[in-house]
Amino acid sequence: MRKIFLVALFAIVFSAAKAQEAPKLYTLPSPFERYTHYLATVRYSGAMPLGSFSDSYIDKFSARNYSVSLEWVLRNSPLSIGGEIGSNYFQKRIPRAVYQSGDETISAVQTRTITQYPIQVFANYHFLNKTSTIQPYAQISGGAAITDYTVYYGSLAQQKQKIAPAYGIGLGSKFLFKRDGSFGADLRVKYEGTSFKYDYIEKGTSSVNASVGLFYRWW
Amino acid sequence: MLKITSLIILTAVLGLSSCTKDPINDLSTEETLVYVTNRDKTVDYKQYKTFSIVDSVLVVENNQSGTALDEIDRALLNRIIINMQSLGYTYVAPSAKPDVGINAAWVTNTQLNVTTQPSYYGGYWGGYGYGYGYPSYYQYYETSESYWLISMVDFKNANTTDKTFNVVWDAQIRGSGIGSTQLVDQMVNSVFTQSNYLKIK
Repeated sequence: MRKIFLVALFAIVFSAAKAQEAPKLYTLPSPFERYTHYLATVRYSGAMPLGSFSDSYIDKFSARNYSVSLEWVLRNSPLSIGGEIGSNYFQKRIPRAVYQSGDETISAVQTRTITQYPIQVFANYHFLNKTSTIQPYAQISGGAAITDYTVYYGSLAQQKQKIAPAYGIGLGSKFLFKRDGSFGADLRVKYEGTSFKYDYIEKGTSSVNASVGLFYRWW
Repeated sequence: MLKITSLIILTAVLGLSSCTKDPINDLSTEETLVYVTNRDKTVDYKQYKTFSIVDSVLVVENNQSGTALDEIDRALLNRIIINMQSLGYTYVAPSAKPDVGINAAWVTNTQLNVTTQPSYYGGYWGGYGYGYGYPSYYQYYETSESYWLISMVDFKNANTTDKTFNVVWDAQIRGSGIGSTQLVDQMVNSVFTQSNYLKIK
């Protein structure tokens, strides 16, 4: 009887000790909650031209868009701010056609291209807290895009290079690979526009971009 | 940690700059060609009945000119005659006082361009407390472009006061395929096809 009592006592003491250890692990909040931390994201995206840019210049889907961003995720705030640089490329080939320009008639195969290097600052509003493995956010961004507009008539090029204001608004989500981990995936759908106007582009460029990204965060 | 991040950013930047490619390298030789035609809109082409053509192609290079009659030139002139005839004009000898004359030329413009050496690379040795004293280094490079120029000259209504003939129509054939003998017929047919207002019958 005494023996049984001792075993039971030992069991109680041991489990109590274990129970005391356990809360210790979880009372310390994640460093990502405690500190303002950094987050770098590399994205690849597909883009579809919209509106008058699509109607009057290029209406073809583009799969040649990339970007990299760096952001500061603020402590005790649902906001993060950062900067993003990217590269977008749109192209469309039009079979031989006749174009009128004043008294001049031009027959050519036209290759329409536009290359943009947007450099923007952005702010993200996160809907869930930083410990969540899924972190949906809304984004607003603004900056400038270095734009190269080149229309080829056959092998002859007509080119215009200009820096134009750029802006965007998007919805996305971060998905952490591991709770409290450093790596994760980022999915984002974003409307992007610039006020670049030249020749065929009369009302600026606009497109909707869907991107897949990978991020790394640290403090 | 910073190292890993720098690596990611560096990889991404390299990725961004390596994705440019020549958008027109998949064009066929025929597709590189551009046909440009101009007309005098005040002219009624129905007033002309006969035409003649130069006996060789004028070669103009940087304001110097000569003539040439190679295989490609002959092919070009013959194809012009065929097209003019099918539009309804009668081919006559230059001595028979034609209403219009056709000139064909191969024009090459060579330009000498100049650029200056950028001096901002000089900063590398700045650690020694010295800057770079750059003299003006210039670099020269040459670009040249050739094209066919076909023009129709009005002999019927010569401007008697300043003794000139008006050019009532012209065509330029440009692009990287213009030296191709196989494409000559197509080039000439194209400029006449897009100028159907020349038709007199």
